Parts: sequence; structure tokens; C-alpha cells
Amino acid sequence: MARMKFLCDAERCIECNGCVTACKNEHEVPWGVNRRRVVTINDGVPGERSMSVACMHCSDAPCIAVCPTNVIYHTEEGVVLHDKDGCIGCGYCFYACPFGAPQFPNGPAAFGARGKMDKCTFCAGGPEENHSDAEFEKYGRNRLAQGKLPLCAEMCSTKALLAGDAAELSDIFRERALRRGKGFEAWGWMTAYGKDKEEAK
Amino acid sequence: MSTSLMRRDGRGLLLALALWLLALAPPPVLAQAEPGDEPAQRQLREQTRQRGEFQPGEEIRQSEQVRQREQTGQREQTRQRERERAGPLNDAPMWRQARSGDEFFTTVRGPEAGVLIQDEGNTWRQMRNGPIKQYGSALLLVVLLALAVFYAVKGMIRLHAAPTGHRIQRFSMFERVVHWGTAITFVLLAVTGLAILFAKHLVAPLLGHDALGVLLVVGKNIHNYIGPVFLVFTVLMILAFARDNLWEASDRVWIRKGGGFISGEHVPSGRFNFGEKTWFWGGVAFLGLIVAGSGLVLDFPNFGQLRVTMQWANVIHATASILLIALSFGHIYLGTIGLEGAYRAMRTGYVDETWAKEHHALWYEDVKTGKPRHS
Repeated sequence: MARMKFLCDAERCIECNGCVTACKNEHEVPWGVNRRRVVTINDGVPGERSMSVACMHCSDAPCIAVCPTNVIYHTEEGVVLHDKDGCIGCGYCFYACPFGAPQFPNGPAAFGARGKMDKCTFCAGGPEENHSDAEFEKYGRNRLAQGKLPLCAEMCSTKALLAGDAAELSDIFRERALRRGKGFEAWGWMTAYGKDKEEAK
Repeated sequence: MSTSLMRRDGRGLLLALALWLLALAPPPVLAQAEPGDEPAQRQLREQTRQRGEFQPGEEIRQSEQVRQREQTGQREQTRQRERERAGPLNDAPMWRQARSGDEFFTTVRGPEAGVLIQDEGNTWRQMRNGPIKQYGSALLLVVLLALAVFYAVKGMIRLHAAPTGHRIQRFSMFERVVHWGTAITFVLLAVTGLAILFAKHLVAPLLGHDALGVLLVVGKNIHNYIGPVFLVFTVLMILAFARDNLWEASDRVWIRKGGGFISGEHVPSGRFNFGEKTWFWGGVAFLGLIVAGSGLVLDFPNFGQLRVTMQWANVIHATASILLIALSFGHIYLGTIGLEGAYRAMRTGYVDETWAKEHHALWYEDVKTGKPRHS
């Protein structure tokens, strides 16, 4: 079974925000919710780098560990999904996540009335029946079930953002890094997958 | 029209090709020129040195040159360091920034959207899922067990003398409303709060995932909306009971005799004994305000507090809550099955004279001599 991961190549990302737009459009994400965002370091000065950030579908996912209702889970492909029906909007996943992936439709509302958490699904929908209206309503399109990869990566004009099987991503990135002789760091991988030694295979 | 455009296109392509070739050309030329220049300069310098011509003032000029060269060298080093810091081949500073938790530029609006990686979340996770859950559950179980053992050995502490049938007022209506307001909100918050922390491990395996979901959806809303009410009652409670919980001379006796819990002896005390005062100041006032205050930080995230603030608020909230719940077990035990007449006192506001004499002798005397210390 493939182990799905994201990889953002900071040497290639040009901060076009195409991934952000693609994601919002594909899943018809509500206002105020951004499952993916692009962050730029040293904006406008030497050493500028941009990185696209979303849920990294961590191996030892902190959100799963702290969720009081146990609604966040790993699929067989290592994708971290959640069941909105049992979500109480406590915000613990938001406290724990290193990448700031969990989003809330009401934002940081008074009395903790954030609404149900929303995050990147790796375009793999949710626990509802594949391609059902309920699934699309809650989680967006299930591209993985259609045999397609996440749209953000598919749309990426510079192929900075890659999504797919970890082993293949590693191969592509290693070859790129060797060719250009720089930019060897796969952004966020230590944080997201560092603890799982088995994943390196 | 179309043909001319095509021709212009063709010419443009040729031009671009030529420019591209030109652009490719310079680097090798420069690369050849530079090493060529370097030996020539070195040769010139060597020749000057070999000639060894000294002129008046040469020594001063030389030392001046050395100093200048040193300064230039230092400047070069600094420049090199700066270049390394921002240089394209040296990404280390940039990755340090990425992991720093600082906010950077992003077009997305949201709380801390510009932060790439925040490490504090993991610290919080380790503390909450580690010590707080482990020591917290152990403490609560140990206290419950200790109370069960105490009850099994000693049973309910009963009155020694027969009740007189004369009842005197112990709590006013206002005091009772405040007490039960605090008590009910506290129990609701304690149950729902413990559910948020532990139900995942207890309810889910026993009753299933759906039951856990329903319990916590209801529980979280009760917790979040009742929380501020608890704070109001806690403040009223402190105002209502503070005066009679101040230190008295009789408290020293009570401490020395350990409250008479083991011996069964009744230590004379005022309206509240030292045990009650400990619960009042340590539990209700101190822990109660900490729990309520840290709860507000979590309950109202709309004031722009950062994740790290809420993580620490949660650690404080959970720790203080568990301590408060552990203390409350003792209070609830003595207020219900532990001590005869205690529950009735708070429910009706009245106690029998015998009860007053046996448990709060000094207060009983005050009441009898007509100088009740409470209003």
C-alpha cells in the first residue's frame, strides 16, 4: 500500500497561490477556511523562500493523540481524515498541530463555538460513502477514490508541490536536489514523518 | 496580415536564439580571464618585493598598509559571513526561520496563519497526554479509594447525644443559593471536563464511538456555557463566606488534633473549622479562581490569544481542576455520607442544637449568647 505524503520544494515554489485557489475551488471550502496556504519567508529580500502548507498527514499525528472524541484517524494510505459528525470543535487539534492545519468555519468564536473542524483531506473525502453528496458537502471531492492525486499538487505550475507515494516523492526530490546541488531539505518532513523510522523505506 | 505577423514571429525567435547564445557565452570567457589575471598580479607583487627598494618613510607607510589590509580583510570576512547568511547555497538560516515559529508573510487570513511550524503544540500534547492524564487519574482514584476505606472503617460520623429538636439557623437563604449554585455548576463542569480528558479511554470502549460523540457534543457545550456562570458563583461564594473563614485561635487546636478525624474527638471550633477553611481558601477561592480564569482564556479565543497561550492555559486549567476535584471529593464526602446532619444543614439552612454543640461548639456559644458572627 502506498503511503501518501506531501512534499513542498521551497526551491521551486513561486508563491502563485495556485494550490490555495485550486483547493478552495475543488472542495467548495467555506469562507474563512483555507485548507492550504502559502507562507513566504524573507518576503522581498535576499533569501526569499515560499512554502505551501497544509495538513502533512503526519505519521505520529498530534491531532489524533489529543482529540477528545477520537474522530481523527489514519487511512490505510496514511492519510489523516476526520469524522465531522463527532467533532465538538474544542480546538485541541489546532493547539497541537505543528502546521496550523485545522481550520474552523466560525473562527475563534466566543464560548469556543468554533464549529466543526475542517482540514485538508489529501482529496480523500471522509468517512461517508465515496462520491456521495454527504461526503462532498462535509469534506469535498474524493479524488483519491477516483484514482487521482490531490488537486493542489496536480495544479502546481512549477511542480514545487508534490503529492503521492512517499517513496516516489523521495526519489523525485533526491534527483532534483542532486542535479541542482542545493535545497536538500524536504520541508516539514522531520516534523511530520521524523518519528516514524519505517516510513523511510 | 497573418503572414507578416508570422514573419515577425520568426524574426523574434531568431533574435531570442541569438540573445540566448550570447547569454551563454560570457561565463566561460570570464572564467578563463580570471585565473589569467590572478598569476599576473601575483607576479607583479613578487617583483616589487624582490626589488626591495626602501625609501624614507617607507616603514611607516608599510605598517599603515598592513593595518589597512587587516581592516579590509575583516570587512571581507564580515561580508562573506553576510553572504553565507543570505547566500543561495546556504539554506540553514532560512530553515531555522521556518522552524522558529515566527510569523511570515501570507495572503491567507487566520489565527497565526503566517507561522510555518509551531513546536509548542507537541510540548502541550506530551504534558496533557502524559503527566496530567496519568498523575491526574491516579490522584482521583487514590482519593476515592481513601474515602471508601475511611467510610468502610469509620462509617458515618454520627451525633453522640440525642437531637434536642431545637433548630438554629446555620446558613442564610443567600448563602445556600450561592452554595448550591456553585455546587451544581461545579459538578456539571467537573463531569464534562473529566469527560473531555478521559471519556476517550472509558466511554468509547464501553459504549461505543457514537455514545462518546453525543456525550461530548453535549458536554462541551455545557462546559463552555456554564463555565462563566461558575466564575460568578465562585466570586459570590468568596464574598459571602470570606469573613467567617478567617483565622481564629481555635484553628491552632484543630490543626494540632488533626481535626479529630482519627480519634473521633470533637474539636471545638467557630462557624467553620480549619478543614473547612482550607477547602474554602485553597479549593474554592484559590483553585476555583485559577480554574475559572484559565477557563476563560480557553472559552473566549476571540481576543486574539496565541496557541501557546491557550496551551499553557489548558495545562493550568487541567492541573488546577484535577486538584480541585480531588479536594471536592473530600468536601462532598463529609457533606453527604461522611457526617450526619451536614447535608441537611446546607439544604434547609438549619441544624439541631446538638449538632452545633458537637461540631462547632464556639459558634454555638456565639449564637446562644446572641452574637452570631455571620449576618
